[in-house]
Amino acid sequence: MTGWRPTASLGRALLVGTAGIAFAVIFGDPVLVVLVAPLVLIAALGLLHRPTSAPRLSSHLDHVTLHEGQGTAVRLVVEDAEGVEHVTRVSAGAPHLASRPLSGSAGVLIDGDAARVPTLEVSPRRWGRRTLGEEKVGLTSAWAGYRWGALPLSGQAMDVLPVTAPFDSTAEVPAPIGLVGRHRSRRTGDGSEFASIRPFHAGDKLRRINWRVSLRSDALHVVTARAEQDAGVLLVVDALADHGASGGVDGQASSLDVTVRAAAAVAEHHIRSGDRVSMRVVGPGHELVGHGTGTRHLRMLLGKLARVRPGEPRDLAPDRLQLRVTAGTVVIVLSPMLADTIGTATAMLARRGLPVMVVDTLPEDVVPAVIEGTDATVADLAWRMRRVDRDQQLARLATLGCPVVPWRGPGTLDDVMRRLARRAQLPQVVTR
Amino acid sequence: MIRRWTPGQWGLRALIVVGVLGALLATVPAGATPAPWLVVLVVLVALIFAVFPDSAAGAGAMVLVVAWWGVGLRDGLHPAALLAAAGLLVAHVAATVADLGPGTLPLDRAVLTRWSRRALLVLLAAPLAWGVATLVRDQPAPAGLWLAGLVAALVGLIAANLSFTRRAG
Repeated sequence: MTGWRPTASLGRALLVGTAGIAFAVIFGDPVLVVLVAPLVLIAALGLLHRPTSAPRLSSHLDHVTLHEGQGTAVRLVVEDAEGVEHVTRVSAGAPHLASRPLSGSAGVLIDGDAARVPTLEVSPRRWGRRTLGEEKVGLTSAWAGYRWGALPLSGQAMDVLPVTAPFDSTAEVPAPIGLVGRHRSRRTGDGSEFASIRPFHAGDKLRRINWRVSLRSDALHVVTARAEQDAGVLLVVDALADHGASGGVDGQASSLDVTVRAAAAVAEHHIRSGDRVSMRVVGPGHELVGHGTGTRHLRMLLGKLARVRPGEPRDLAPDRLQLRVTAGTVVIVLSPMLADTIGTATAMLARRGLPVMVVDTLPEDVVPAVIEGTDATVADLAWRMRRVDRDQQLARLATLGCPVVPWRGPGTLDDVMRRLARRAQLPQVVTR
Repeated sequence: MIRRWTPGQWGLRALIVVGVLGALLATVPAGATPAPWLVVLVVLVALIFAVFPDSAAGAGAMVLVVAWWGVGLRDGLHPAALLAAAGLLVAHVAATVADLGPGTLPLDRAVLTRWSRRALLVLLAAPLAWGVATLVRDQPAPAGLWLAGLVAALVGLIAANLSFTRRAG
C-alpha cells in the first residue's frame, strides 16, 4: 500500500468534531463545542500537515556473512522523508535469529531526518542460511494525520558460518608429505628444528657451518635440520541425520551442530598449520571441497559447512560412497556414527592403511525425535538398542586401528594423532 | 495479541478507557447521572476502542459521550465540561500514540513527550470555547444564528470529508 492515507486518528477527530458541532447546533447547546474543540483543532492540524513527498524505502544488512553468535544491523533507508514525523519498523521473527529490540518493533520520531531512522539489530544463533522475517514499515506525518504504508519489505538472507569452537592441537599429523608447512618431517631439510651435526659435504650452505665444532675437530661440520612439511587432511562430515534439538550457539547442541562446529574448528586449525584441507559432506547436498590452503580456502570450507542440510541422498550405498582419498591423506570422520554407511566407509579406508580417525559427535544427553503418538517406552528401548549397535560398530572400528574420540574441543585429536604418527613410522601390512 | 503488549501499551489502553469513561461521568458533578446501561455500553465500546485503537469503535464511544452531554444536560455550560473535554482528548491522543505501531512496540519517550505537549496545547481550545460560550450565554441570539451555525457546521463537514476522500485517493 503506497501513498499517504488519512489515519484512523484523523478520521476519528473529524467525525467526533463535526458530530459535536452539529449536535451543538441542533440542540442549541454550546457545551458540545467545548467538548470537541480540542479534537477539531487536532484534525485541522493533521489536515494542514499533509506531506507531499513520496518516500522510497529499502533495507539492507551491514553484513551478509557472519559467524553464529555475532551480530549485525538491519538498516532502513528512507529517501525523500520530508514531512515524515514518525517511523515504525516491525520485523517478524525467524528461527534461530535473535533481535534487538526483543519484540522486533521499533518506532522513533525522525522529523524528516532520514538519518534518525531506527536500526534493528539481529544475531543469528545457529549456523546455516538464515532469512530474516518480513519487515513492515509505516511512516506517519505530523499530528498523525496521514500514514504511508505499512509497506512490507522482504526478509534478506545471510550466510551464518559455524563458530570455530576452541580447538588446538600440538600433535604432529601422521603422514606429512607436502613441501611446506609446520609439521616436522623425518627427512632433513631447510627447517628450523635441529637434527644433527655432520661433516661438511660439497653443496652444503656456508651458513650451516658450525664453527665451534669445526675448530675442535679440525674439519668443517654443518648443522642439519629437519624439513618442515604440510599434510593433506580430508574431513568427512556426516550429515545423514541431525539427532537432538538445537538451541543455537549458546544452547543445547544437536549432533549436526557438534559435527559442523568441530569440522570448522579442525579445518581452521589445519589451515593455520599450513596443511592442505579438503572436505566431503555425506548428505543430500554432496558438498565437496578439494584440497587447498590459505584463508580464502578456509572461508570456502566454512561457507560449504554453513550450507549443510541433514538428509539421506537417494543413491547412498557404502560401496558407492566415493571419498576420493589419496595416499598420505589423514582422514578425519566427524559423525555420530549412527549410520551403517559411514561406519562401513570408514572401515574400508582403515583397511587401505590410511590414517583414519573418527570424531564422535553424538552429544551425551541427546534425545531422539520420535513420531507423535509413539509409546515412550518403546522409543526408549529402540534408542538404547541403537546405541548398543553403535557401540559395537565403534569397537569394531577400533579393532581395525581406527581410533574413535568424542569431540571435547581443544586437545581432542592430540592423543590419537600422536599414536597414528608413531604407527606411521612402523612397517605395515596393507589390506587391499 | 494482548499478552504481547508492552507495559507502555497497557498504560495507553488504560488511558483510553479511563478518558472515555471520565468524560461520560463528568456530568455527575453537573447533576446528571448517566443510566447504568449507558455506562455499560460506553465501557464496552471503550474496551473495543482500547484493543483496536484504529477501529471505528473510538468514534462511536466518543459520539456516545458527546450525545449524552447534549441529551443529559439542558444547561450544560458547567465547568465539568472542561474535565470531559480533557477526558476525550486523553483518550484520543492515547489511541493515536497506540496506533503508531503494534502492541509490541515499545514506547519512545520522545514520542510521549511530544504528544503530551501537543495535548496540553490543544486542550487550551476547550477553556477558550467555554469562556466565549459563557460570555455570550446571556446575550440574545441574533436571528438566524443557529441556522448559520448549522450551515457552517455542514459546510465544514462537507469540506473536511471532501478533503479527506480526495487526499485518500
